[in-house]
Amino acid sequence: MLHSRTRDAVFFQIGLAVFLTLILLIILIPFWRVIVTAFIPLDIYTRDGVPFFLSPTQWTAEAFKQLLGHSLFPRAMWNSVVITLLGTAISLILTVPLAYGLSTRNLPGRKLIMTLVLFTYLFSPGLIPVYLLITGMKLTNNYLAVILPPAVSVYNTLVMMSFFEGLPEDLKEAARLDGANELQVLWNVILPLSKPILLTIGLFYAVYFWNEFFTPILYLKDSDLLPLPVLLRNILISASFNEYVEYDAFSTSSLESLKAAGVLITMLPMLFIYPWIQRYFTKGTLVGGVKE
Amino acid sequence: MKSWKMILVVFVLVLSQILAACGAPAATATEAAPPATEEPTEAPAEPTVEPSPTTPPEPVDIELWAQATVTEAGAPPDDWIAYDVIREELNINLTYVIIPTGEDGEAFINTAAAANELTDLFQAVKANNDNRGALKQLVDLGLVAPVDDLLPLMPERTKTHYNDPLLNSLVTFDGKLYGLAEPPPLPRREGLVIRKDWLDKLELEVPTTPEELLAVAQAFTEQDPDGNGKNDTYGLGGFINGEGLGNRFDFITGAWGLPGVWDFSAPENFGLVVRNEKYPEALAFFKSLVDEKVIDPDWPTLKRDDFRARWKQGLFGIMWEDFAALTNKSNYEPFDTNFPDAEWIPVASLTGPQGDSYYGVYTGRGNIFAVSQTAADAGKGEAIARLLEWIATDGYFLMGFGEEGKNYIIDENGDISTEGLPETEAYSAPERQPFTQMRNQLVFYNSEQEIKARYPTYETINGRTMEPMKFLQFFQSQPWTDGRAVQAILPLANAADFDRFYDEGMLQFVLGQKELNEETWAEYLAGLDALGAADWEASAKQALIDAGLLK
Repeated sequence: MLHSRTRDAVFFQIGLAVFLTLILLIILIPFWRVIVTAFIPLDIYTRDGVPFFLSPTQWTAEAFKQLLGHSLFPRAMWNSVVITLLGTAISLILTVPLAYGLSTRNLPGRKLIMTLVLFTYLFSPGLIPVYLLITGMKLTNNYLAVILPPAVSVYNTLVMMSFFEGLPEDLKEAARLDGANELQVLWNVILPLSKPILLTIGLFYAVYFWNEFFTPILYLKDSDLLPLPVLLRNILISASFNEYVEYDAFSTSSLESLKAAGVLITMLPMLFIYPWIQRYFTKGTLVGGVKE
Repeated sequence: MKSWKMILVVFVLVLSQILAACGAPAATATEAAPPATEEPTEAPAEPTVEPSPTTPPEPVDIELWAQATVTEAGAPPDDWIAYDVIREELNINLTYVIIPTGEDGEAFINTAAAANELTDLFQAVKANNDNRGALKQLVDLGLVAPVDDLLPLMPERTKTHYNDPLLNSLVTFDGKLYGLAEPPPLPRREGLVIRKDWLDKLELEVPTTPEELLAVAQAFTEQDPDGNGKNDTYGLGGFINGEGLGNRFDFITGAWGLPGVWDFSAPENFGLVVRNEKYPEALAFFKSLVDEKVIDPDWPTLKRDDFRARWKQGLFGIMWEDFAALTNKSNYEPFDTNFPDAEWIPVASLTGPQGDSYYGVYTGRGNIFAVSQTAADAGKGEAIARLLEWIATDGYFLMGFGEEGKNYIIDENGDISTEGLPETEAYSAPERQPFTQMRNQLVFYNSEQEIKARYPTYETINGRTMEPMKFLQFFQSQPWTDGRAVQAILPLANAADFDRFYDEGMLQFVLGQKELNEETWAEYLAGLDALGAADWEASAKQALIDAGLLK
């Protein structure tokens, strides 16, 4: 009986390993292909297409050189960094008090506030009213036009609220007994304990702002303000329509290589951030999900 | 705990600094421009217009929304000489905003329109290139002003840009001209080409009929035309671009006199081409190309970029291609590197069994610009006309090529050249692209001098002279159907369903998934009618008659 159970467990483990390996391959193979495509030389691409493997001597960073060496790249990268940092900071500054307030059970009018918050989650105002609001506030050609509309995400607020609710009430009570007001409780007690959720929600916001594409197109008419995703798209459009633009086909890489390199360039910063805060990630999103 | 707080305080301080600086870093063109007395700008290459007596004392602010010629290059800088010239000579403060292409561009314009915030002069944009439809939508909303009165204010531009009555009639609604229909990009620029080196090796002649095309394609497929000892070539390559089998195979249905979707051959014949009894014959021939396996089998799903990678890999020897995509140095170079001894030559329109011969359908879709009602109400019409006239006359070279002697020269033949100029300063250099971003939208009108400059002759690796213009001229000399009127036809309400049935049905016949005979063809036509084909044809005909385009 015991032997059979052990054997079952081994089979299960092997099955699980095979299954997870398959899943891993399903994820890795397209990713590998993107990497090969990004580094393939133009002559090999035009002669053979994209092979699965490239010999080490064949790799070229020409597509990256073309993208990173673009005259507008430093400016676009700066814009993306500013939008991401500023957007994340503003979002956290606005989300934390809202989430904390809503997590306070004896907050007067809590239900009404919660209903109003949820209302905006369920019913979006739509593009035109937001456009009118932004242009009415004279925010076109200003990073804030991209940052302010999505600054408070209801989903992120609820996740954070749930985390705050999971913190021991006794800690807050002790601080209040020592004479702390709510702001001091938030500042001195809650925030130091909320590193996981701050990093997790910060990451959510950062990814959102880093990838933001349409609102910059709509509101940032000055091309000096456009972020990286818009520049990369513009480069790809140019490369794919080169027959209409007589002498601009300057590319020393294939369109596919440029696309792949663009994917990697935009993906890498987030790829580096994820492992750094991974240890907080699960904790941040799940703590508070289960209450005692 | 202390360090945590300290970090937060520092963060807020940094944040406040960034916030203070988060507006537009650059001043507007007007603000950034140095006063003329302090730092005089170089005079434009050509003499500029004399300020007219009607020039208002205060500069007029004009904002222009237009797509870029080279999307990746970005907008011209604030100290662009053209801004200074336009301000000094025309008394106009120009703000040039580059708008996105495709769906994003359509969303950009539609959002501004919905908010009644369309700018002074803007490009009508539709993701599916139905620019006329985009304009009509804005006209119906009352957001666009008529421009009839502006044409007399820009006589030279009207001669070079707005001289096509048919294009003008397409932007005329209720008897008023609402759009400025710019000349379409080079018309009839695509064509059929064949590998001459393969023909020579197999001692074959250039095909002139569909049957000959099939025979040559079979030889290209089976007789190792590239001599590499492998069975790795196909006669024909292509991909679907557009409705049905797409316009890239119009040369096949054209041999039966039925290219495209609509029959424009004569007013009495107007309707969907599939109604014509000869259409199944054309499809049967196409099917024979598939059955004989002489066409790259991936053609139904191939994308344009993959198609282009394949001909550069020497996969097939006959194809339909854009002249510039084939012959421009940068586009041809990879192919030239792979096959320095190879040569593509143009093929004339095939002649079908009944003597019909059409290369394709010329739809002539071009950019359409419009003046917002807001701008007209603000009295900016005259200034807009002044600006457009200047772009077509004194500002033409500056806007299209840059500064004479610095970015281009006019050689002894009167041609535009960059000989002797620093590489990075030449108008064709990547660095110069931001300065001529308007060229394909508002400047060029396909003059001979312009085309010569845009598509220069060069030498291939083996020293053969490559003349893109020769290909263009050959393609343009072929018999094309004038289908420009198609722009006046509104899509069906259930266009998605109709298109899917139309496209899939046609593909099924050609791929042999559905037998092609009288009965199945009648069923196919009945299916189209069930989706509103007959009504659509009637309404399309009426629309063309109303617009005076079906005579």
